[in-house]
Amino acid sequence: MPDNWGFVLAAYGLAAIVLIAYWRFLFRREKELEDAAAIRRDLRQPSRAAELGQPQPNPASRRPSP
Amino acid sequence: MRRLLGGVTLVGLLAGFVMGFGIAPRETTQGNVQRIMYLHVPSVWVAYLAFGVVLVASIAYLVRRAESADRLAHASAEVGVLFTGLTIATGSIWGKPTWGTWWTWDARLTSVSILFIMYLGYLLLRGMIDDRERGARFAAVLGIVAAFNIPLVHFSVYWWRTLHQPPSLMKPGPGTMPGIIVAALLVNFAAFTLLYVYFVTRRARLLRLETEAEA
Repeated sequence: MPDNWGFVLAAYGLAAIVLIAYWRFLFRREKELEDAAAIRRDLRQPSRAAELGQPQPNPASRRPSP
Repeated sequence: MRRLLGGVTLVGLLAGFVMGFGIAPRETTQGNVQRIMYLHVPSVWVAYLAFGVVLVASIAYLVRRAESADRLAHASAEVGVLFTGLTIATGSIWGKPTWGTWWTWDARLTSVSILFIMYLGYLLLRGMIDDRERGARFAAVLGIVAAFNIPLVHFSVYWWRTLHQPPSLMKPGPGTMPGIIVAALLVNFAAFTLLYVYFVTRRARLLRLETEAEA
């Protein structure tokens, strides 16, 4: 039987693409959420936020929780 | 810890690749196309493992209502769907040169497709229900019901006449494969199991971060 290396390459190539794409999705999303969490933490600490020059939340603009 | 697990997983996958392509011999009947087995069989093992974990975590969630159990079930189902998809795709690629067809409505192929669709439905169900607690409860019930399909997939090759060969490893009794091929397969089993643990821990952490961001 012929070796059919093309099929072997297709199977391993497809698996590599799918697994790397999933890993990249996890990595990027995690980084996004960690960055957002760090900003939220900074905003909760007014002195730290002022130190970083970030805008501080205006308590009056907050919507009441339902 | 995550980096260490990621590093060990990468080393395991490289070792599996070397075993599959460098150490394991060319199979006499099928030729080198048989090397797809080192990817296809560990993928279906991870799918079984992932959906087994969904079953256990779903029961744990319904009993204890622990959010961590729900996150584990969700993460494991997602990774399981990913590996079931890979199993179907690599099996189809392997089937063309060996069976002469990309696809046939064989009992094994059909049952694994149903498994894939059921857990895809599980993920869609989670996304459709806005109330987190209600969604988790419904998903847990589906996660338990869908698990009944796992033995159906595995034993389909015994229960029906199929084109798909019976299992060579995950079966009772002595194996028929040469030791070096079994060794290459076991290294890949270990590597894929590590990859499963790595993906699930990262995905579960991501789900926790998403919940915190929404709070």
